[in-house]
Amino acid sequence: MPPDPEGRIVHGFSNNEDAVLVKAPPAGMALVQTVDILGPIGNSARLFGQTAAANALSDVYAMGGIPWSVMNVAAFPSPENPDDAPISVLAEIITGAMEKVAEAGAVLAGGHTLDDEYIKFGLAVTGAIDPAKAARNDGLVAGDVLILTKALGTGILATGIKAKWPGFEEAEKEMYRWTTHLNTAAAEVIRAMGLKAATDITGFGLGGHLLEMAKGSGVSAELDCSALPFMDQAEELASFGLIPAGTYRNRDHASCHTTVSSSADELRSTLVFDAQTSGGLLLAVPQERVQEACERLNALNEPAFIVGRILPMRDKKEQLIIA
Amino acid sequence: MDNAMLDCRGMICPQPVIETRKALEQKPAVISVLVDNAPASENVRRLLEKSAYSVAVEQREPSLWAVTGSAGAACTVCAEAEAIIEKSGERSRRTLVFLSSEFLGSGNDELGAKLMANFLLTLPEMGENLWRIVMVNGGVKLTAAPGRALDALKKLEASGVSLLVCGTCLEHYGLLEQKQVGETTNMLDIVTSLDLADKIIRP
Repeated sequence: MPPDPEGRIVHGFSNNEDAVLVKAPPAGMALVQTVDILGPIGNSARLFGQTAAANALSDVYAMGGIPWSVMNVAAFPSPENPDDAPISVLAEIITGAMEKVAEAGAVLAGGHTLDDEYIKFGLAVTGAIDPAKAARNDGLVAGDVLILTKALGTGILATGIKAKWPGFEEAEKEMYRWTTHLNTAAAEVIRAMGLKAATDITGFGLGGHLLEMAKGSGVSAELDCSALPFMDQAEELASFGLIPAGTYRNRDHASCHTTVSSSADELRSTLVFDAQTSGGLLLAVPQERVQEACERLNALNEPAFIVGRILPMRDKKEQLIIA
Repeated sequence: MDNAMLDCRGMICPQPVIETRKALEQKPAVISVLVDNAPASENVRRLLEKSAYSVAVEQREPSLWAVTGSAGAACTVCAEAEAIIEKSGERSRRTLVFLSSEFLGSGNDELGAKLMANFLLTLPEMGENLWRIVMVNGGVKLTAAPGRALDALKKLEASGVSLLVCGTCLEHYGLLEQKQVGETTNMLDIVTSLDLADKIIRP
């Protein structure tokens, strides 16, 4: 159980109560709520639990929020045969998740497990946020510079791990290194700098999520292929064809709003759409404050990769330009 | 080395890449890989290119790609793959038989049951066009009651005919555990099957 030093849980579930009484965040703060559930990724139950928790918490961080309380949501096939995953796997997943919830400073307000055909795990997260200062999906302005805080490649690495491709043990370590990392520091920078637009990179990939933001904001966005950060092995595995179908789907779905310049690397222009799990935050920062943002991130030991910029609409259309 | 032909239809990523990689261990001079989805065609192309083959990707049908790699310069689909492609082109009809009762016709149920068994035993005469049998309502009882009809269904399934059995109906008749043949399915699969079929027979 994650600690609760402030006594946020007023009345818990220890006596089989069905609902949990949670103290509200301080006056003036709004709630930011989200739920995210994943199928297993990689082969470690505990690190999958950490990943699923980091992934769910990330939606709160992407707005600049602070996680307040969480609820576990789990699906697990009840073991009937010797080959079935034992119930200890579920315990490991939850242990991993709670480690990340504790790290995030949130409390556990219960959860629900159902008997299901496949393992799934995630969190419903409630965060606290100053509503006037929340970073939004539709707050991009032409001239903004795009800073990404994690390397890309979870979709590729997960595929390589599934295929047991040579070197997959290292690929798994590399993948979990990124996916279990909380986006706390990036959220802190959103708050400290009052950034207006940010998102977290997950299933639609960097390109898909950026295009969504551009459409919401009425702007175009340019990504610089050569500046994209990739996890170790990601490009190598992708060049062997270990690209998940979802990545191609993301690319094809975005295709009528995407322009790929002839100078862009062909493989990277596809990997822009690699479906991420627990990806980094994409921060839109006004040009004159880019250095400040990078310094703030680095001071918190968070990487800052400058990957692109925001442009006005092109031909009255929101476009994603891959250069 | 010899040419290689891989039939990776029905496989999703990364399986076609894994199969192709295994085949490449024999260092074939020409390798043709058949896949039925676009991501697989692109991924197999990448693997072959990475393995220093010159590659051609041909889309032969809406969901059939032949990805051919050649260690030399010229690149043509190998003969064995060509034969499969031609054969799949000939398959123009998908006949679906829709059974909503365990009896054939109405009048006398004893006679109807006999006729149904005969009907199922005679269905193989349709040849390769017979694609799928969908059983709903009383039709699902055919999958559970021992007898000639059940034997006929087992034979049909063994010959490659797909049998879809309505799960809701099995549950209604308490037959989920007794079902001996076919794949338990839902209404979405049934409606999709009806849509995909070229011809539907409802005896």
